[in-house]
Amino acid sequence: MEQFLQAAVIGISLGAQYALLALGFTLIFGILGVVNFAHGGFYMIGGYVAYSCVGLLGLPYPLAVLIAVAATAALGWVFELFLLERLIDDHLATLMLTLGLYLIVSNGLLRVFGPLSMEFSFPVSGSIQFGPIYVPRENLIVLGICLSAILALWLVLFRTDLGRALRALADDRQVAMAQGMRPKLLFPAAFALATGLAGLTGALVTPILALSPGVGDPVLATSFLTVILGGLGSLGGAALAAFIVGIVEAYSSVYFGGSIGALVLFTLVLLLLVFRPTGLLGREIRGA
Amino acid sequence: MKTSVTLLAAAFSLAATVAAQAQDCTAKVGAMGPMSGGAAQWGLAMAGAAELAAAEVNATGGVTINGKKCKIVVVSYDSKYTADGAAAGANALASEGIKIIIGPVGSPEATGIKPVAARNEQLTWNAAYAKNALEAKYPLVFHIAPGPGTWSDAMVKHALKHFPQIKSVALVAPNDQGGTDIASVDAVAYRNNGVKATEEYYQRGTTNFAPIITRLLATNPDAVDTASSPPGDAGVIVKQLRLAGFKGPIGRMGGPGTEEILRVSGGMDVLKDFYWFETVAVTDQMREIDNIYRKLLGKEPVGGTALWGNLPAARMTMKAIVNAGTVEDAAKVAAELRKLPVEDPNMGKGLWAGQKQYGINQELFFAFGVGIIKDGKEVGIARIEPTN
Amino acid sequence: MARLPLAPRQRLLAWDEATAIAVAVVCFIIPLLTKSVLVYSVLNHALIGVIAAQSVWIMLRMNLLTFATPAFMALGGYTVAIAGRYEITDAFLMTAAAFLVPALVAVPLGALVLRLRGTYFVLVTFVLSQIMQLLLFQTPDLTGGSNGIAGIPAVTLFGTEMISHRQVLLFACGIALIATLIAVALTRYFRQHFAAIEENEILSESLGLVVWRYKALGFVVAAGLAGLAGYSLVNMLLTAHPSSFDSAIAVDFIAYTIIGGRESILGPIIGSVALVYATHAFGTQGQYAQGLYGVLILVVILVARGGIVGTARLLWRRMRGPRA
Repeated sequence: MEQFLQAAVIGISLGAQYALLALGFTLIFGILGVVNFAHGGFYMIGGYVAYSCVGLLGLPYPLAVLIAVAATAALGWVFELFLLERLIDDHLATLMLTLGLYLIVSNGLLRVFGPLSMEFSFPVSGSIQFGPIYVPRENLIVLGICLSAILALWLVLFRTDLGRALRALADDRQVAMAQGMRPKLLFPAAFALATGLAGLTGALVTPILALSPGVGDPVLATSFLTVILGGLGSLGGAALAAFIVGIVEAYSSVYFGGSIGALVLFTLVLLLLVFRPTGLLGREIRGA
Repeated sequence: MKTSVTLLAAAFSLAATVAAQAQDCTAKVGAMGPMSGGAAQWGLAMAGAAELAAAEVNATGGVTINGKKCKIVVVSYDSKYTADGAAAGANALASEGIKIIIGPVGSPEATGIKPVAARNEQLTWNAAYAKNALEAKYPLVFHIAPGPGTWSDAMVKHALKHFPQIKSVALVAPNDQGGTDIASVDAVAYRNNGVKATEEYYQRGTTNFAPIITRLLATNPDAVDTASSPPGDAGVIVKQLRLAGFKGPIGRMGGPGTEEILRVSGGMDVLKDFYWFETVAVTDQMREIDNIYRKLLGKEPVGGTALWGNLPAARMTMKAIVNAGTVEDAAKVAAELRKLPVEDPNMGKGLWAGQKQYGINQELFFAFGVGIIKDGKEVGIARIEPTN
Repeated sequence: MARLPLAPRQRLLAWDEATAIAVAVVCFIIPLLTKSVLVYSVLNHALIGVIAAQSVWIMLRMNLLTFATPAFMALGGYTVAIAGRYEITDAFLMTAAAFLVPALVAVPLGALVLRLRGTYFVLVTFVLSQIMQLLLFQTPDLTGGSNGIAGIPAVTLFGTEMISHRQVLLFACGIALIATLIAVALTRYFRQHFAAIEENEILSESLGLVVWRYKALGFVVAAGLAGLAGYSLVNMLLTAHPSSFDSAIAVDFIAYTIIGGRESILGPIIGSVALVYATHAFGTQGQYAQGLYGVLILVVILVARGGIVGTARLLWRRMRGPRA
């Protein structure tokens, strides 16, 4: 029972992290139709910016996280506006562009910071005991921020004009444009919103786990997994799938060890892609 | 006044000729090991040892090859703790004409490099604790230090003296040869000393150890041993073990890297009770190595005691190169190397070993240490002398 | 075979295909001319890249971008490594097996994944190569798990062990030539069909082209070629290890193809050779090569869509233009 509850704690905190990543990824796909191979890159940039602010400039950690979010969002904005925008309707070309960006980012970070893990730890430590199970304080804080960010994103998308415009563009770009939505303004905004979320996750999670130039690869794989499971482009689906992935991962590694859980998830996703490409909650958004 | 100018000019021209001669000829030697990821410290320690040994030889004028004085230059390669990384590295170094390689480090790397280095006729070292770290059919492979089969029993006995409460232990290590070959031998040593041992293996590259820790603690062990987990991983494991409320002693009968574990886990207070196998028995004479390093290379040494442990192998190789007068004929260098007594200015005297375990006497065996931290304070490192 | 009515005069080989085969043949001469280990090393890597990039290129001819190359390479490489355990090292037998095993696996797999197009196909191939990695880890009895299989015996050709550097390189040249011949034969014979699918799949289907048949054929052959690349890689390292077939290396082969130029078979060849050489020139390890690939991919996608070959062709035409 102890183990069962402990696995649940691990699964939920993993799920919250995956949700932040997947929401950004799926937002970009839903609105722009772009598969963002650079998502892991923005996660890493978030981590390294926060690290630099704390470790090199001596800023307090919360401020460092905000700066990381701003930096990744700004970079996302610029990248969308100046590069992606030109080829926005060519799926393979935009995919290659984000792939190129990822290679440049991960290699640039390797060049600047070297291959070793950074000494970057969360400012709060210790854990809270609930009977037989324990919850590390850092995980609790990250969980809280992740859930608030998800709520904030929901409010932006469903309660503001910006959100309505973005959703309209995702639903039907032609009609939305005819009604006066301006993709030139909104696309970079959507991209920046999503990359900012990836940067936020990076700034929050890398001090708990590890920060080195390789940490972006698994992020991409997990984002893929989650987003496909939830249905490409579906926000609710992504959030739901993120928790499913986190919990399956936690239980399988606690009870079976190794990577058998990942294998099961990937195989499930393969079958889902083939037989129900729209995922759990998705619907066909664009004829990709 | 005039004489001093002439002297100065003479000194300059002499310096210029020496420099020109040194630049005339460079002799390349390889260094290999994981230089990124959790085991990066070990690879950087290997490269550091090679660079230091080369700098020492260069400071005394370098090596004479075909009558020309040559400077030794170290080319390092990140073999990433994988078999194919080391195999590819042997080829990459061979493509630069490099026949002498200080490294690689771990078991997967040692297994991967052996056949390829044999094809390339390269001399290699390894610090692997694998059961086949040396093989009679690969005479150009040398071993930096003995594996757990040689020292685990003495280690367990010493640890039990300090922590008699240990009745059961859970060993955790990566699920490849670099982990299994060590943890399984450690487990036998624990069992022989009346301690119940369980083994838990994780995928190399894991970053979140929370699920593994939950599994480990399910057996309620008195102690947890991180065996040969890379120092970076072991640091996270220690941190998360303590977060999970584990209060027992933590052991490490595997590789060096206590410094890195301290850094990653959050310090002495987190570590609290800790015992570890130290590849070298630390003395002031050995601490001196770091000063020599700073002086000759002008930078901070990386790798802690692993650098010290690798240094005798690197120094002896350089000596063998000087004696053989070549860096291109690995067999000749190996022959010279076998003739040398196992001796090091900082480490003291050791023995050639390996015949009994591997059937080939190409292993360096120096005194080793057992380190103890109790209640967050370092008790010290006990020295255990080598015997054949 | 359904022939498209629009087939104009078909030459036996186009100039670029003839050049590609000629390059592969010339490759045999290099090991006989030099003993430079540097040349051997770069060439050996480039030859493996050429085969894998041709596999990517065949799929791109049908407008499908694949990340599954490492998965099929692993199938080919591990087939040879496992056979080596039983002392089966005959070059002809193993070449056939390294091609056929991944090709056969690709038949049912193709039936599943070829229903997808565009982005969804990219995603599914990415997932495939992840699954292959995990499968390798989960099958320690067969594949050695995380340890891989080390110390694979050298390949034997007519009873001779191909053990020296020169022999290994000559063998790599042989595999590359076979792969190039297969790729040329496939894309030449079905040139019109592939072009039609690349241009507009739905239109060609409505015009009566049995699209799935050619896509399946392309997928199966591409898988076989990737298997050959895996064989060549394993033979060079004498080790089959999961990290050799990491899904991240798919990016390298895509980079070779896109940067070399996707419109001609010379693209993957020139791309592989140029980028492998550049990787080497960037340091022993090529730590910084990925960044270079990234920049080149951006350049190709944004300003030089034809890659090296396409741009060269364009410049050539422009230079001759005024005279024509």
